[in-house]
Amino acid sequence: MPDLLSNLSLGFSVALSLQNVALCFLGCLVGTLIGVLPGVGPIATIAMLLPITFGLDPVGALIMLAGIYYGAQYGGSTTAILVNIPGEATSVVTTLDGHQMARQGRAGIALGTAAIASFFAGTVATVLIAALGAPLTKLALIFGPAEYFALMVMGLAFAVVLAHGSVLKAVAMIFVGVLFAAVGTDLETGQERMTFGFAFLTDGVDFSVLAMGLFGIAEILRNLDQTETRDVVRARIGRLLPGLADLKQATPATLRGTAIGAILGILPGNGAVLGPFAAYTIEKKLAKDPRRFGRGAIEGVAGPESANNAGAQTAFIPLLTLGIPPNAVMALMVGAMTIHGIVPGPGVMTKNPNLFWGMIASMWIGNLMLLIINLPLVGVWVRLLKVPYRLMFPAILMFCSVGIYSINSLPTDVMLIGFFGLMGYILIKFGFEPAPLLLGFVLGKLMEEYLRRSLTLSRGDLMVFLERPISAVLFIVAFAILAAALLPSLRKGRDEVFTEA
Amino acid sequence: MDAPLDGTSARRGPVRAPQSLVAGLGLIGLGLFGVWASSDLDYGSLRAIGPGLMPFWLSVGVGICGLALAVAGFTHDGHPLQSVSLRGPLVITLAVLAFAVTIRPFALGGVSTPGLGLIVAGPLAIVIAGYAGTEARFLELLTLALFLTAGCMLLFGDMLNLPIPIFPTAVVQAMTGVLPARTLLRIAAGVMALVGSGLLLVQRRSSRREPIEVARHSLTT
Amino acid sequence: MKKALAFGLLAALTAVGARADSYPQRPITMVVPFAAGGPTDIVARIVADPMSKALGQQVVIENVTGAGGTTGITRAAQAAPDGYTIMMGHMGTHGAAPALFKGLKYDPATSFDPIGMAAGTPIVIVAKKAFPAPDLKSFVEAVKAGGASINQAHAGVGSVSHSTGVLFDSQIGAKPTLVVYRGTGPALNDLMAGQVDFMTDQIVNVATQITGGTIKAYAVATPERNPSLPDVPTTKEAGLPGYEVSAWNAVFAPKGLPEDVRKKLIDALDAALKDPTASKRIIELGGTVPKGNEAGPAALQKLVESEVARWTPVLRSAVESNP
Repeated sequence: MPDLLSNLSLGFSVALSLQNVALCFLGCLVGTLIGVLPGVGPIATIAMLLPITFGLDPVGALIMLAGIYYGAQYGGSTTAILVNIPGEATSVVTTLDGHQMARQGRAGIALGTAAIASFFAGTVATVLIAALGAPLTKLALIFGPAEYFALMVMGLAFAVVLAHGSVLKAVAMIFVGVLFAAVGTDLETGQERMTFGFAFLTDGVDFSVLAMGLFGIAEILRNLDQTETRDVVRARIGRLLPGLADLKQATPATLRGTAIGAILGILPGNGAVLGPFAAYTIEKKLAKDPRRFGRGAIEGVAGPESANNAGAQTAFIPLLTLGIPPNAVMALMVGAMTIHGIVPGPGVMTKNPNLFWGMIASMWIGNLMLLIINLPLVGVWVRLLKVPYRLMFPAILMFCSVGIYSINSLPTDVMLIGFFGLMGYILIKFGFEPAPLLLGFVLGKLMEEYLRRSLTLSRGDLMVFLERPISAVLFIVAFAILAAALLPSLRKGRDEVFTEA
Repeated sequence: MDAPLDGTSARRGPVRAPQSLVAGLGLIGLGLFGVWASSDLDYGSLRAIGPGLMPFWLSVGVGICGLALAVAGFTHDGHPLQSVSLRGPLVITLAVLAFAVTIRPFALGGVSTPGLGLIVAGPLAIVIAGYAGTEARFLELLTLALFLTAGCMLLFGDMLNLPIPIFPTAVVQAMTGVLPARTLLRIAAGVMALVGSGLLLVQRRSSRREPIEVARHSLTT
Repeated sequence: MKKALAFGLLAALTAVGARADSYPQRPITMVVPFAAGGPTDIVARIVADPMSKALGQQVVIENVTGAGGTTGITRAAQAAPDGYTIMMGHMGTHGAAPALFKGLKYDPATSFDPIGMAAGTPIVIVAKKAFPAPDLKSFVEAVKAGGASINQAHAGVGSVSHSTGVLFDSQIGAKPTLVVYRGTGPALNDLMAGQVDFMTDQIVNVATQITGGTIKAYAVATPERNPSLPDVPTTKEAGLPGYEVSAWNAVFAPKGLPEDVRKKLIDALDAALKDPTASKRIIELGGTVPKGNEAGPAALQKLVESEVARWTPVLRSAVESNP
């Protein structure tokens, strides 16, 4: 404990220098402003802003970068709530209830709740990293391919619960999502799968492209169909920040979300991606009236948002202690650190204690900055909703195009958002929801890899999934979730399986 | 995927949930397509799963879901087909395509489009997209396009220094040695903002419409 | 806004007066065919900075990803050979690609004007901590004897760890089970956890884990020991002299540069590599800075030709024998 305190005080003495606080603030601010552009998710934001940190000293650069990361993530949630466009996999869940709240004139409350829940989760996760970072890495190494496969299956079971319509349609969408994930060059053999000879499909479909199409463009198309409701939404803008009653309702969800997100974030195999989904599922299962979910339930924002932020934070643990980047954003952070001459890994903590603890302290400062920056900004964002839709959607469309182009510099990516937009529109017209598809897409890719890897390592023995205790438990949980989702509707009149729940 | 346009189909005849039926048929089609598309791939063995195994079973899964939905269309009451409009999807797709082929040279077959850069692609996308709605007004869209594109140019091209093409390739070559790229960018953005402001004034004077809050969009001013 | 405009016009007027025909007159785009933050991107950014200083114009990095780097290189190869588009190629795009991509639209040896080598990133043979063999010789024996019961990790078909790994197997005549990962990170995780037995990878990716003691290194595949891993012997010292391999990064331009432009780029890269901060950073990454006869366009041209000749048979047979 005294160690922890002296380490943290070292960290804060580094992070609280005038220059570093300013850099942290600047990073958070710019990250938020870029990340809020529809079409620009955290990965694109960090890649874009990475070069501006080059001129700084390593500690300052990393502090600014961490600020950019939180800012981008929070900016992404803002876009998810305001215009229903998720910038990354984890904010898909935020669109479900967050955007519904915005449609009901409660955008400010949703944004405020997201900011406060994120801040709380960030604080807890920072303490967790500082206190338990090193011992927790052991947990990371217990998880082998079999456990990850089980984890992904569990994630797909969550996806069924996520949908608020017909269970059958949700399952179909998950299958379609996993099928889409298979497009592209096969990792193990290098063979092209379902690319039809198109060069731009050899690397498969990019998540942002799919998300921007299915959510961004399809949402525009859907809104164009319903002129009346859209303008009613604009007219009603309620209170700007959550009141005490709202916060009281959100608190238990925040606590649970933080715990779930923090634990999953430690897993180096991209466990953090599951955090928001798991939190949402749990909130929906615990709620007295699950029907509120998908229709603007505040727990549906607080839970996933806190899980998201906690996971985003604890994802630094495998990076800083094992040197393994658990996801694409962290891989970018490794690159950034390496450019500054620091290779993250077990040595960082002892070789560069200034940097290590300074960065941890700055995580908390960054979270605080976000709160300071974003609560006043809520008013600005909400006012954006007042802009007439006839001007709003061309602007969204252009930002999506510029954002997608800037990621890979490929015009074909821009064309694909048009294609997926059309597809998303047709899906909506037939009562399918895009969220399970996107989840299937994200988890499907990982799931197939882990499945094939587990079986390669077990030499084709399927029992490996049941012999290993953690994997067996995860499978049982997955089947329990599925049964819980399917049975009631099967019992209560079979119609619900096929039509709206 | 064909989209039936009739939104008022009566619940008569054997079909009790037309939406389910058509959705199911669509999924069956997608499943069959998936089976066909992955038929050239090896299934492998459990010990070394081939690239074709997952796509095949997923397609089968999609097909089975489709079958169940289609059957449900006959056995359960459900939603009628929703009407699908054509204007929105067509115009929006056109806007996206316009952006994609003008931002940089794009070759399709033997034909290549000239790379016109963000300064053309941005306004093109905005103005075309605007006509997807029924309330489009040209001047208003143009104003928005000028402000937003100028903002994006400054933000992405000047401040962040991203390698997004800003100007037509021909202009870049002609101006090489005449003007530094950044100066050109700033002048262009300035001129666009000025013209935009002019347009804004004209529109304010000519009618007493609701004020247009364009400036706030650009996030740069 | 008016102020900016006035300033712009003023700048324009002064610039018109100073028109000159010498290259470069505007920023130069360096295409990096991999995502921002990867080893090639890092080398490119380290080199681009001093190159900008030497050229007097900014060298802007453009990440064009896809198809093992060949998307970006194809695009850059088709750009106008005016010196305003250059690229950072690497072992994969200019060595292994012809063996792996059937419809490749460029020829590494003839479609480019080589500018010069930027950095070598040597390969190291690493194994899980619990692997019993004490040195490289007994390790090689163990891998040979173990046959398919040994698990070798790599980061995907066409990755550096894949190419160099199958080269290792073919040289020692072993046939371990290949376990595929998406990227080095997850492969390294399972290596640390002992799920897989060994892999070959660039030093930059595994150096901290080796010094941290979570995995063990048998040898570096270079003629000399590496400063970031001074205790690890070379393959020659450890008794496997034939296995010398390095992933390298080099700057290329589209074929047909004007002679003066070509010369300026060569000089700029040369100056960049002599820049103390740049070379220090490359070495800190476990990389090597080309010196003497390794630097320059002629050496690069020779390297590309020998690499294509080396990788094509090894990779063709590895990909074809894949179940």
